[in-house]
Amino acid sequence: MRVWKKHVREVELDNVYVWQWPVRVTHWLNAIAIWVLSVTGVYIGYPMLIASGAASDNFLMGWARAIHFYTAIVFTLSVLSRIAWMFMGNWYSRWHRLVPASKARWRAMRRTFRYYMFGMRMPPGFVGHNPLAGLTYAFVFLAYLAMIVTGLTMYGTSAHVDSPLRIFAGLAPFLGGLQTARWIHHGVMWGIWAFFVHHVYSAILMSQVEATGTVESIFSGHKFVPREDIIKPGYRFEHPEA
Amino acid sequence: MEERQSWLNEELERRGVTRREFAGFCGVMATVLALPKAAGARIAEAIQTREKPTLVWLEFQDCAGNTESFLRSGRPTVADIVLDTLSVDYHETIMAAAGHQAEEALAGVVRDKPGGYIAVVEGSIPTGANGAYCTIGGRSALDIAREVCEGAAATIAIGTCAAFGGLPAAAPNPTGALSVADAVPRAKNLINLPACPANAENLVGVIVYYLTFNRFPPTDRYRRPLFAYGKSIHDNCERRAHYDAGQYVEAWGDEGHRTGYCLYKMGCKGPVTFQNCPNVGWNSGTNWPIGCGHPCIGCAEPDFWDTMTPFYSHMAGFPGFGVHSSIDRVGLWATAGVAAAFATHGFVQLGKRYMHARAENNDSEPEEPAAPATSSGKGADE
Ligand code: HEM
Ligand code: HEM
Ligand code: SF4
Ligand code: SF4
Repeated sequence: MRVWKKHVREVELDNVYVWQWPVRVTHWLNAIAIWVLSVTGVYIGYPMLIASGAASDNFLMGWARAIHFYTAIVFTLSVLSRIAWMFMGNWYSRWHRLVPASKARWRAMRRTFRYYMFGMRMPPGFVGHNPLAGLTYAFVFLAYLAMIVTGLTMYGTSAHVDSPLRIFAGLAPFLGGLQTARWIHHGVMWGIWAFFVHHVYSAILMSQVEATGTVESIFSGHKFVPREDIIKPGYRFEHPEA
Repeated sequence: MEERQSWLNEELERRGVTRREFAGFCGVMATVLALPKAAGARIAEAIQTREKPTLVWLEFQDCAGNTESFLRSGRPTVADIVLDTLSVDYHETIMAAAGHQAEEALAGVVRDKPGGYIAVVEGSIPTGANGAYCTIGGRSALDIAREVCEGAAATIAIGTCAAFGGLPAAAPNPTGALSVADAVPRAKNLINLPACPANAENLVGVIVYYLTFNRFPPTDRYRRPLFAYGKSIHDNCERRAHYDAGQYVEAWGDEGHRTGYCLYKMGCKGPVTFQNCPNVGWNSGTNWPIGCGHPCIGCAEPDFWDTMTPFYSHMAGFPGFGVHSSIDRVGLWATAGVAAAFATHGFVQLGKRYMHARAENNDSEPEEPAAPATSSGKGADE
């Protein structure tokens, strides 16, 4: 008796090029950058390693900050590129796949939610992001922007006098002061990690139950989907018995 | 003008300050104000020849700490003499007159010199209970502040209470205390000199700048003069090398504390606080808080009682989780909670599938059709 029974389909599966390379490249750049930024950031917040010897022989915090700042540049450019791609890329990468802008998306989101709450045995099928995942990603992008804005504010206030980044220092009062900006920077980091845990779980779960090659798709860009999902997304597997 | 110059010379002599020291002071002022060294001569001339500006000093909800700072009783310095060149026509704490006589002096300045005096305000201005929390001679602080500051050539809000509301305005702000900027939006040329208390050197700096250039120094977004608040404590701190190296005090009096390591882990707010304490020092430059082993508490920043507390930890706790909570501990638990929730989801999912598979087996249906056209998701290529 196989619990994770593979889906058996009578239908032909269509190979769809879903995630163009900018989507995949920015996804992995962000994922790697978030690791590096979190490790260096937590050290900046809690320097648990104490250097011994003369101050001039050590540069631990200096390195942590330098790595944090250089990685922050990569992260910021990658996030901005992905946001630009939301207006340039293919259908599946556009902003309306993240922000549910149509009634149909909202209705379909309710069905996906029902699936997650065990109201349906199989998830409604979508080619790109399902509407619930899309909305989650919209919040993730907001979290990215919150990290960038609070980070640039902290950086801007102590940047070199000639640095153009100094203009970001002007945001400090709107964030409730620098110490509060720092607090937000920490809090949102944990928000991203909480998302990460859910994200990897859901990606693997969806890969199993949708059986369209979800996890593989973020590497290769391709999914293998039944034609009915392309014609009428969001209804596959909606059995009355569920 | 001759007369006045000789007055200054006499005063310098009387206090035992040489001409050289005076010239030296003017040079130092030029540096403090971030002006070219040559500006020293111009400053010297201005201090000696400008007419005495009239100054009135208002105290509202305060502890008189800035007055103490202003009067600080070190050796008499040239700075004191510069402050003495002001004609302080009203200052409750230090003036000889009292009662209605004193109030008459203030009314006289406002009446006779409209736009011709500098108002210094110390303390926040309460607006709750119709201003009843602070009244002087039967008038509310708000009333007095509006009248005096709106008629002044410039207003200097000295100390964090006047500049940002300070302690009285800290949550829950029982008296409805406001900063001068908020209470008197029509005050002209408002300069904030926050800190708890403000450093007298910076007050001298502002006044010297005004005497020299007849205008006020450039300010930042919180109306603080850039010469004094343009750089963070952290960027000028003498312990900065230890910060960059990764050498921190971890407990009061530990090896690192005795060696003079960085106070970051003891809650130092130097990285988010802007003032020139490391450069000018306190008590006539004797020392300053971090210099003697105490972390910066961020006293020159808006709402520091609310945002910089707890003073001895790096970051505030999470609301509702107690003062000793930390955002990172709460964040870590939240992440663990999400992991637990999804793990539960996973188990429920597995359980349901197991039940389903068993039901299917009981119906003794074949588990898989004999020859599927295409099998799993990884099946077809096109
Ligand atoms: C998801 C991405 C990021 C994560 C998880 C992250 C995490 C952190 C953490 C935990 C800290 C320690 C804060 C403290 O206790 O003072 C920090 C500091 C900082 N981060 Fe980030 N960060 C991220 C992105 C960025 C970005 C995009 C910037 C943009 C410039 C940035 C700039 C800074 C700055 C300036 C500091 C303060 C460093 C200091 O105090 O010297 N961060 N970061
Ligand atoms: C910190 C780490 C990660 C973050 C912040 C993150 C974030 C995101 C975001 C924002 C998207 C939407 C992509 C877009 O539209 O541009 C996405 C998609 C995706 N991610 Fe991640 N990701 C992370 C790590 C991973 C890992 C480790 C995996 C592998 C299991 C993974 C698998 C996927 C897949 C399969 C998709 C496509 C989902 C779909 O079809 O809707 N991600 N991720
Ligand atoms: S003691 Fe404070 S201001 Fe000085 S280097 Fe350390 S953190 Fe920065
Ligand atoms: S070191 Fe910090 S807390 Fe101390 S006086 Fe200076 S700004 Fe205020």
